[in-house]
Amino acid sequence: MSTLDINNVRKAYGAVQVIHGITLNIQDGEFVALVGPSGCGKSTLLRMIAGLEEVTAGDIAIGDRDVTDLPPKARDIAMVFQNYALYPHMTVRDNMGFALKQRRTPKAEIQERVADAARILGLEDLLGRKPRALSGGQRQRVAMGRAIVRNPNVFLFDEPLSNLDAKLRVQMRSEIKELHQRLRTTTVYVTHDQIEAMTLADRVVVMNGGVIEQEGPPLELYDHPKSVFVAAFIGSPPMNFFEGSIENATVLRLDDGTKLQLPKPDPKGRERITMGVRPEHFELADAGWPATVSVVEATGSETQITARIAGKLIRVLVRGRTDVKAGENIHLTVNPDLIHMFDPAPIPDVALEEDH
Amino acid sequence: MTSIDTTAPKLRRRRRSYSHAARVGGAIFISLLFLFPVFWMVLTSFKSQVDIFTTPPKLFFDATWATYIEYFTRADIPDRLLNTVIVATGAGILSIVVGTLSGYALARIRLRGAATFGVLILMSRGVPPIALAVPMFLVARNMGLTDKHITLIFAYCTFLIPYVMWLMRSFFVSLPKELEESAMIDGCSRFGAFFKIIVPISMPGILSTLIFSIILAWEELLFALVLTSRDAVTIPVAIAGIAGDTETGANWAALTAVGTVTVIPVVIFALLVQKWLIQGLADGATKG
Repeated sequence: MSTLDINNVRKAYGAVQVIHGITLNIQDGEFVALVGPSGCGKSTLLRMIAGLEEVTAGDIAIGDRDVTDLPPKARDIAMVFQNYALYPHMTVRDNMGFALKQRRTPKAEIQERVADAARILGLEDLLGRKPRALSGGQRQRVAMGRAIVRNPNVFLFDEPLSNLDAKLRVQMRSEIKELHQRLRTTTVYVTHDQIEAMTLADRVVVMNGGVIEQEGPPLELYDHPKSVFVAAFIGSPPMNFFEGSIENATVLRLDDGTKLQLPKPDPKGRERITMGVRPEHFELADAGWPATVSVVEATGSETQITARIAGKLIRVLVRGRTDVKAGENIHLTVNPDLIHMFDPAPIPDVALEEDH
Repeated sequence: MTSIDTTAPKLRRRRRSYSHAARVGGAIFISLLFLFPVFWMVLTSFKSQVDIFTTPPKLFFDATWATYIEYFTRADIPDRLLNTVIVATGAGILSIVVGTLSGYALARIRLRGAATFGVLILMSRGVPPIALAVPMFLVARNMGLTDKHITLIFAYCTFLIPYVMWLMRSFFVSLPKELEESAMIDGCSRFGAFFKIIVPISMPGILSTLIFSIILAWEELLFALVLTSRDAVTIPVAIAGIAGDTETGANWAALTAVGTVTVIPVVIFALLVQKWLIQGLADGATKG
């Protein structure tokens, strides 16, 4: 176990720079999730930590050791790949013991450590099988077993759950969390799924276009996103945004002329803002922002209402049940503490996609 | 309703069995087309000279081993078979070693100009062999290397290495690169990952390519004709000699007997290849 320090790291392929100077200090035993849309550089950063990509500038240290120019094998890390990369010609036992064998660990010890890891992951009955005889979830577990057998300084996960179906993904997510609580190994976890990042990590690092957009504990990112990008990325269903100009301090005038009364003035006094409200922070009221309901979806524990304010589709999440019907006109209010105000910015695609 | 429900699947089944029969029939026809010359060669090799040219051709005759005994007790044919074995396996093994390594480099190592280099090597296969044979002969003569096994082995490598390199390259490209990355994180160097993970996984592909290469070298005529004269003569040259014997005319029995023996190892090899190719390759490495 060890700390991991990334210091002003850059990566360029020829003239194209993809990582623009990232600094990140990870504590011993911390679980950090790198999250962002595809192409944001999160996987490249992970691969640089692993030593699979050269670092163009800056340095990376594991513990007190500068590993920037060391080959992967000298870094004492373990990595779980998205496609697992199990060695197809070896049994589960040999797959898990391969790294130890490379390090000339005595046979008896390899056997003991493989058995331990297999017990933790429930793989005891599969040790003699080849990867092709395993299901997707079992392969995923073997890939994790191969990582934990090593007892490395740092665990690296590259979207390890994205090849699994939804149900298995949720199950493996809790297994990874349990495993981390048990082993307390410093972990860097790359995912494009914000729910995975939120539920697993001690700290979430949101990346965008090769830079860190914002980092912090998951709920801090949820409560206090610094930009439209982070606000749109964190939270499911995603936040609703309204862009417009401020009139008389507390009126937001949308571009089509609709005026929305703000519960509080913009603390920064900007002339133009993007206002954000999470679906779960709307409240149905007798007076407030007028909206027309288009769809009502009840799941029992909560009800999702899709409605229009000034022609714009918004999502409202209500706990429990409601007797609101499609076509009805409703009024919405928001607690002043739960309203977000940002510099105007385009809303990233992530907010428009339905989360899986 | 019920009558439609019961006949429809029956009809479909009958239609399916028709198309199945048509496909099997087509396969048999095409196989016969290819197998008939081989069959006729084997048949002819057991005929005596008088039975060979009868009209109509005889399917039933007094089979004789005479030609086989005559030619395979003669000094030069067994020697030439041995030469062919030496040259074909030598060229096959050398080209598989060089071609596999360079194919891997071409598939995985990011190098400026590597792709161009690969295409250039492939283009060298477009040069007609006859254009290479004469300069090759001159070089061999100047170096005192004519009529030697090693000369033929190197000559065969000129067309085998590009062949192996490109086959193995496409094979390696199809393997997930995470396999080596994982091995490198687990403690291997790039070479270690190649030999401990990639080579064992690729064994079916490597062995089939090796056998294809051996077959190509086994039946090569032109270079052997130009570069050998007595000691290193291979079987295709010997067969050409029998066919082109102007003194007595072509001895068809001899031609087909030597031809039959020459084909046997090729058939065995081809069957082996088929067995290996059927095995799954990187089965189970990834999500599957």
